[in-house]
Amino acid sequence: MTSWSRWWLWAAVGMAVSLMWTVAFVPWWAALGSGLCAVLTLTVLAFYARKQDETTPRAGEEVLEGHDAKQVLEQVDALMSPSKDIEQIPQVDEVLQSMAADNQRRRVDDLMRRWVDVGQRYAEAALVLRREIQSVIKQTEQATGTIASSFEAVINKATIQARQAMELLEGTQGAASDGVPQSLKDFIQVSDERLNKMADEVVRVADLSVNMVRELDGVQNRTQAIDGFLLDVEKLAEQTSLLALNAEIEAARVGEHGRGFSVVATEVRRLSKRSHEFSDRIRVHLKEVRTGLSKTHGDMRTLSAADMEHALKIKDDVIALTRSLEGKNREVAETVSRINAISKEIAQDVQNVVVSLQFQDITSQKLSGMLEPMDELRSTLYHLMQETVNLDKGLFKNLPGSENWLSHMHDDPAAEVEVKLTKNPEQDLRKVHGATGSGPAVELF
Amino acid sequence: MATILTVDDTASMRQMISFTLSSVGHEVIQACDGHEALMLLKGKKVDLVIADINMPNMDGITLVKSLREQADYKFTPILVLTTESQESKRQQGKVAGATGWIVKPFNPEQLLNVVKKVLG
Repeated sequence: MTSWSRWWLWAAVGMAVSLMWTVAFVPWWAALGSGLCAVLTLTVLAFYARKQDETTPRAGEEVLEGHDAKQVLEQVDALMSPSKDIEQIPQVDEVLQSMAADNQRRRVDDLMRRWVDVGQRYAEAALVLRREIQSVIKQTEQATGTIASSFEAVINKATIQARQAMELLEGTQGAASDGVPQSLKDFIQVSDERLNKMADEVVRVADLSVNMVRELDGVQNRTQAIDGFLLDVEKLAEQTSLLALNAEIEAARVGEHGRGFSVVATEVRRLSKRSHEFSDRIRVHLKEVRTGLSKTHGDMRTLSAADMEHALKIKDDVIALTRSLEGKNREVAETVSRINAISKEIAQDVQNVVVSLQFQDITSQKLSGMLEPMDELRSTLYHLMQETVNLDKGLFKNLPGSENWLSHMHDDPAAEVEVKLTKNPEQDLRKVHGATGSGPAVELF
Repeated sequence: MATILTVDDTASMRQMISFTLSSVGHEVIQACDGHEALMLLKGKKVDLVIADINMPNMDGITLVKSLREQADYKFTPILVLTTESQESKRQQGKVAGATGWIVKPFNPEQLLNVVKKVLG
């Protein structure tokens, strides 16, 4: 054993020898390499040998015991100095055993303490969890209730709004009754008809004035013809007057016998003169008539032109107005169909909301489902803890608050503090987030 | 239109069912568990009952059984509306005498269709 402990010496020797006898035949680096290999091999061997060395004695004892115990004992007696050591061996065993037992007990105690500690912590955590879960269930129930009520109110109001809008708009699309237009469409139709009739009347009046102008033209022409006739009458009168004059001259030449004839001739001349005068007076009147006719003719022409223009403008205006009203009517119809489409979309959205709002029921059932196994585990733990406590009452002396934690562990879950819900969802939600106190929701400093 | 009783321990569920059914003109009365439902039905006849399964005091299955024992409700349609979807539970409901089984969450259109069908 001692010789192996100086393995480094053996290694140095081995290396020197291998270096010495190989350096003569091979280059120095090869010799050094082989020497190092040899040293490595020897080192490994030395370690192995040392390991073997350490395990051999026990194996040796067994072999020796089985082989010849008496002989070996004699040898051991010879090797060891005669003393009281052998008597002391059983006492050491006892000490070792009691130490091992103490150690075991300490470990068990430690484990128990840790176990109880874990139990206590779980009980506390489970209670907190249970309270939180119940609070979440209550809060979601309250919040969902508020959402559902508000949603219902919104939908009811939206329905009323849509219905009123539709009534209003559909009224403009309804049918006419008793000749009074009920819808915008009918109104357009009726007003269009009436305005068209009026425009037609105006056009007819304009046409009539044109005809009158034409008639007046004829009358004027006739007055001119009368003028010509008057000239003929005047000429006739002049000729008659001249003839009467000649007759008078001839009567004077005849003398007394022609006196009667002379009277007739004078009378004829007088008649001719009067005829001339008549003709003059007729011409004066005729001139006045022509002046009046000419003025009326001008007025009628102006009137007929203006009438026509006006009538055409009115007709154009009526057409434009009708088109604009028709456009409005189309817009109204489009709005009605849009409102209908939106109502359908709202109905679909309502379905989605109704489905989604049921999540609260499902989540609270799932959360309540979590409570049951947790309570079971807590109850099992409680019984286990009780048994542990009964086993060793000294275990809990060092635990803080150990007097009541076990009783606390078995608290009735139903007796837990309930979250008081108010009518104000905002406040309740804040409660869920752990905000306490009655301070304002928003505060500016 | 029909008078319908909805039995569910969750207020929002009752609200949703009531909202859906009254939108088409049904009269809806509400009860929060089987016990309250039986009390309500004592002096009143309804055309249809829609009940949940998991409820405090008296669950849905017991309610269905109790209703089927009464002469007035022997043939009244009873729909079960619940989160439970296992076959065993469904069988339990069928044996108890339920008319139909709807798994939550319900779709309003589907619920109205089913109600229309069972009301005949």
